[in-house]
Amino acid sequence: MSHYKSGLLLIHPAITTTPEVLKNTKTQAASKEIKFVDQFLINKLNDGSINLENAKYDTIQYLTPESPGDIKFPKKLISILADSLKLNGSIVGLTDAYKIDALINGFEIVDKPDYCWVKRDLSKLNQTVSIPLKDKKKIGSTKLQNGSTKLPTFNKANASSSKLPSFKKADNTKLPAINKADDSKLPSFKMAAEPEVYKVVDDLIEESDDEVSSNSSKAQYFDQVDIDNDSIEEEDLIDEDDSSKPMITMITCGKSKTKKKKACKDCTCGMKEQEEREVNDLRSQQDKVIKFTEDELTEIDFTIDGKKVGGCGSCSLGDAFRCSGCPYLGLPAFKPGQPINLDSISDDL
Amino acid sequence: MSSSKKIVILYGSETGNAHDFATILSHRLHRWHFPHTFCSIGDYNPQEILKCKYLFVICSTTGQGELPKNVNGTSKREKPLTLWSFLKKKNLPSDLLNHVQTAMFGLGDSSYPKFNYAIRKLHQRIVTQLGAKEIFDRLEADDQAMAGSNKGTGLGVESVYFEYEKKVLQFLLKKFPNRKLDGQEIKREELDPKIYLEPISYLQFLKENMIEDTREIKIEFEDDESTKIGRVNVNKRITCDDHFQDVRQFTFSNIDNIQEENYEPGDTAAIYPCNNDVDVSRFLANQSHWLEVADKPLNFTNGVPNDLKDGGLVKPLTLRNLLKYHCDFMSIPRTSFFMKTWTFATDVTKMERGQEQLEDQREKLRQFATDQDMQDLYDYCNRPRRSILEVLEDFLSVRLPWKYALDYLPIIKPRYYSISSGPRNPNIELTVAVVKYKTILRKIRRGICTNYIARLQEGEQLRYKLQNNHLIKKEYQNQPIILVGPGVGLAPLLSVIKAEVSEDMRLFFGCRYKEKDYIYKDTLEDWSRQGKIALFTSFSRDSENSPGVKYVQDYLWKLGEELTDLVIKKNAIFFLCGSSGKMPIQVRLTFIEMLKKWGGFSNEEAAKKYLKEMEKFDRYIQETW
Repeated sequence: MSHYKSGLLLIHPAITTTPEVLKNTKTQAASKEIKFVDQFLINKLNDGSINLENAKYDTIQYLTPESPGDIKFPKKLISILADSLKLNGSIVGLTDAYKIDALINGFEIVDKPDYCWVKRDLSKLNQTVSIPLKDKKKIGSTKLQNGSTKLPTFNKANASSSKLPSFKKADNTKLPAINKADDSKLPSFKMAAEPEVYKVVDDLIEESDDEVSSNSSKAQYFDQVDIDNDSIEEEDLIDEDDSSKPMITMITCGKSKTKKKKACKDCTCGMKEQEEREVNDLRSQQDKVIKFTEDELTEIDFTIDGKKVGGCGSCSLGDAFRCSGCPYLGLPAFKPGQPINLDSISDDL
Repeated sequence: MSSSKKIVILYGSETGNAHDFATILSHRLHRWHFPHTFCSIGDYNPQEILKCKYLFVICSTTGQGELPKNVNGTSKREKPLTLWSFLKKKNLPSDLLNHVQTAMFGLGDSSYPKFNYAIRKLHQRIVTQLGAKEIFDRLEADDQAMAGSNKGTGLGVESVYFEYEKKVLQFLLKKFPNRKLDGQEIKREELDPKIYLEPISYLQFLKENMIEDTREIKIEFEDDESTKIGRVNVNKRITCDDHFQDVRQFTFSNIDNIQEENYEPGDTAAIYPCNNDVDVSRFLANQSHWLEVADKPLNFTNGVPNDLKDGGLVKPLTLRNLLKYHCDFMSIPRTSFFMKTWTFATDVTKMERGQEQLEDQREKLRQFATDQDMQDLYDYCNRPRRSILEVLEDFLSVRLPWKYALDYLPIIKPRYYSISSGPRNPNIELTVAVVKYKTILRKIRRGICTNYIARLQEGEQLRYKLQNNHLIKKEYQNQPIILVGPGVGLAPLLSVIKAEVSEDMRLFFGCRYKEKDYIYKDTLEDWSRQGKIALFTSFSRDSENSPGVKYVQDYLWKLGEELTDLVIKKNAIFFLCGSSGKMPIQVRLTFIEMLKKWGGFSNEEAAKKYLKEMEKFDRYIQETW
């Protein structure tokens, strides 16, 4: 396990002109055992081209050349940052100018040792900020708006709904606590509208690669290669007698499933016929479940005998989900009850 | 762009299998943050080997124990020296590669006699003769699980690969447990599988775009001067209409009215196919968010990826044109496709059953991407020959980001056809069997290139290149030649005959029925009457017209004494063409038996040795596909 705190470094585009500031920040962070696992430009986050994972960071630092009083920060990102923080994680670099947004999003403002915002467990907070309304509006509009903000707003909704009990309405019996608890831990909404994308950052630490080689003398062989009639014969590289005991790695364990044999092109052993029979069997099965409508066989009707989704419930989902004996095998996924156009699957031999 | 990384992954791949495994390995190394060079053996700059310290080679074997084309050739133009041709130089010292640690993985099929010869050749030269150290003994995968590393285990090729991958990662992680990030040393950890690894170069909108409607602009192909444009002259079916197979006589000539093309008998034409508009529309309808940007001009963030250079890059560069001319979305998806795309299964709005169905689809795709036992994937995709498009149509939750399209979609590659016209004839003629077949999927499966050719109308244009294979040596002119080419195997032999390489040419042709698929019947019989060739035909399912001989090898055996004499005493050349599989093996066995019976070779060993000598000096030539 990693022993450092994982950090996110957000930078104002203007910072890129002063790399030494960036470097200083990193060294300072390192002294506090913070490791910036991600570093993004704030505008990238703002335009939605970067999505943050939920509860990933211990700390987020915003780096800007603006003086503390003049900081301009997109407010909508504060909720996003809140979601990407672990519980008790902190944001460094924002000021009291955004205090209200900080509080709304469940931060506690801490002054010492250094000024920062700390993410607290909302349900334990005793604040009566009137945010539910605002959130409801967001829930409604979230799907239509910028896809990238979809993720955080769901969580916020959950957080706020789990905060409801703090209102302590006596007659609130219609909303049992159990339900709310369930809501608040719906993790399936984690799925981002678009997955996170990662730029390749590869590195080998050269020192750990101890062997030093002096290849300068070998370079000469590249200078003398213009004539190509002095090459070895490829065939000579194979020693037929030796192939009886090749030095190769043997695999000993593994799963028992084996690939079904397939007939070769010029099969004579009967396997090809067997395969053809299988295909034909399946096709005749398909013919049984396909019902053609009157208008010149252009559509297939899957609503046979009230079978909406097939016996096992998976038939409509496509071959990847069908059982091995499924009569629908080989047909595309379909929407139950909807005829589908035969063009896409027509047998046009 | 400097590519002199210490870790190098090289592959030699003919059908794309080895390439895909190498892609998976490269992808894995990136996810573990290992910098490395990744390319085909042919594309690797030989001098870089001096800087390489960890060399991982994945190579399949093709034909009769040969190394794949991209080991010797390069995708770029004019680069005479490849790594392999350099390593084969005789004057190299035995410690040339002693700075390299290597691990090798071969792909083969033990139903062919020269099982995994390619990786063994590479191994023999690189390790045994030139001093590279092996990290662990190489692995040899067998499609049949009858030989190699998975011998008798019943395990497929993929499990051998995963064993290889495991060992490679073990080694590298032991060697480089940490990495540096922003100047600090941190423990090397694998990237979360949900995160998409951004390719080095990807698509973006062209800035300062002046173009209103790209669909009005004429399609061109840029930056590959060796690609030529031809115009179709003839496209005619030459098998009987009621025969199952559609074989075409297909001729075209350069649009610049070249007087003479540069090719000899045995040479091939590379044809660059494309998808048809109907399939492109289907793809766009499936990824409907692409539609509104489909005709917007694009460029690459960081240069054109290498794979796209062969044959030239389409211009104007738009998603629609890329889909039509470059993205092979009608091919069967490989594991790496799922590896790169499963995480894009995010669109719940297309799910009838909402979130639950989305999770199911996501999970299933993730399994296809990561399951080491590829049986399910094989059953779902390979067996029914399901295309990428059909997979997407089954998994509607997949919402692909267009900007990375060329990272996760395979690239359409040219297909090679033997030339049937006589040498240098500007009217280039091909003989093409149109590939179509049935599986459990109701829509007929079609080969992308042969069907592209079948669609081409007279007067339409196509992209092509000519390749000189130097199959028949000049000094063998006028030695007797035995030509064996059943079916479309006749294609290159027609060129040999038209070139009149010898006064003594004997043609052994075979097909199923005399009246159905006996292609170029009249031409061959005319030549036979004129005494240009001696013609021997066999019809495998038509015994009335072919008494006593079913296959070409039966006829060879029937005339065995005479033919063996010709080979031994008159240095005849033996030229065998046709589809790979059983035919070339059986012809070969017949040939060895002939040598034993009539050639004066006392035993199998001696006969085989003689045959090998013939091959070494290109007197026994085999061109199979």
